[in-house]
Amino acid sequence: MKSVRQAVLILLAALVPAGVTAIVHPRRPPWSEETLAPGEEKLRTVLSWGSVVLWVDARSQREYEAEHVPGSLLLNLEAWDRLFPRFLDQWSPGRKIVVYCSSRSCEMSHEIAARLEQNGISPVYVLKGGWEEWKAAK
Amino acid sequence: MRTPVFILFFSLFACSTYGQLVFDQPEQSFKARPEQEMIVAKYRFTNAGKELVKIENVQTSCGCTTAGLKKTEYAPGESGEIEAKFSFGGRIGKQEKAIRVTTAQAREQPTILRLLVDIEDPIQIQPELVFWRVGERPNTKKIQITVAGNSSVKILSVASDNPSIKAQLSEVKPGKEYEIEITPTDVSQPAGATFLIRTDYPTQNPRTRYAYARVK
Repeated sequence: MKSVRQAVLILLAALVPAGVTAIVHPRRPPWSEETLAPGEEKLRTVLSWGSVVLWVDARSQREYEAEHVPGSLLLNLEAWDRLFPRFLDQWSPGRKIVVYCSSRSCEMSHEIAARLEQNGISPVYVLKGGWEEWKAAK
Repeated sequence: MRTPVFILFFSLFACSTYGQLVFDQPEQSFKARPEQEMIVAKYRFTNAGKELVKIENVQTSCGCTTAGLKKTEYAPGESGEIEAKFSFGGRIGKQEKAIRVTTAQAREQPTILRLLVDIEDPIQIQPELVFWRVGERPNTKKIQITVAGNSSVKILSVASDNPSIKAQLSEVKPGKEYEIEITPTDVSQPAGATFLIRTDYPTQNPRTRYAYARVK
């Protein structure tokens, strides 16, 4: 029992300087660091670009009709032949495009972004966190 | 003693989010060829709650998908299966279908089952889009059509819906490689064209493919 008490005391003694370092050290590591996959961009950054962004919603038509980023265009692989010409009507060379799908884990936005880039359309970004991130921020 | 309590707590929480139905694989992925015409996915579930669960509605996101189950009421511990049939109807590429399952016990929290099907497309059109900026030289640009694997596909014709942007089809390697030359006659103002590419693939239900040109 005594050894347990000693271990707890040592732990507490170590926690005090560690806590102070975590709070005041100028080169302390961040508590959490957002990592971006290639082609991804954070919502905060995208919002800072303003109205030049052409938003692309890569979710299903049903999800898009329920709610979407204002001004966004629906474009998914399922109805590509029907939706891509509509996208082209709104697109202009050099305009920033931001693609999102439903959640952090969905891959559709990356696939749509890749297909746009294969067609010479750039720059294209994927919104990190997708629709869930947008909803949480609103 | 604490560990089992935690497990019990989280299990109860997980069950409640699914209206007491726990699905083995709520998301299923398949690869398919167009000749298959359809695919059947089975979503097995168990009533993990302590009360009878009544499935009120099973709704699909597309008329091309049907979903059915043998009965609607499941006792605690009882398992069942939702069978979803997705008819391709000429679709190719990656398809995502959703099946919405609503129970009387959790009407506001339906379970969304997902069916992901990658229908192989041997025809690759690259790029699908050629474009010119307004005022630039109207140089001819090329679109390549290649046929992957052992398939052999004939490109029957290419037609432009805009007479001021012309398309010329040529066969590079019969059944395997084709080229379309696109030439705009006027790039002084914005314009666009859609090219209808008629093929003989799939044999039973040949599909028209598309490519695009824009002057922006």
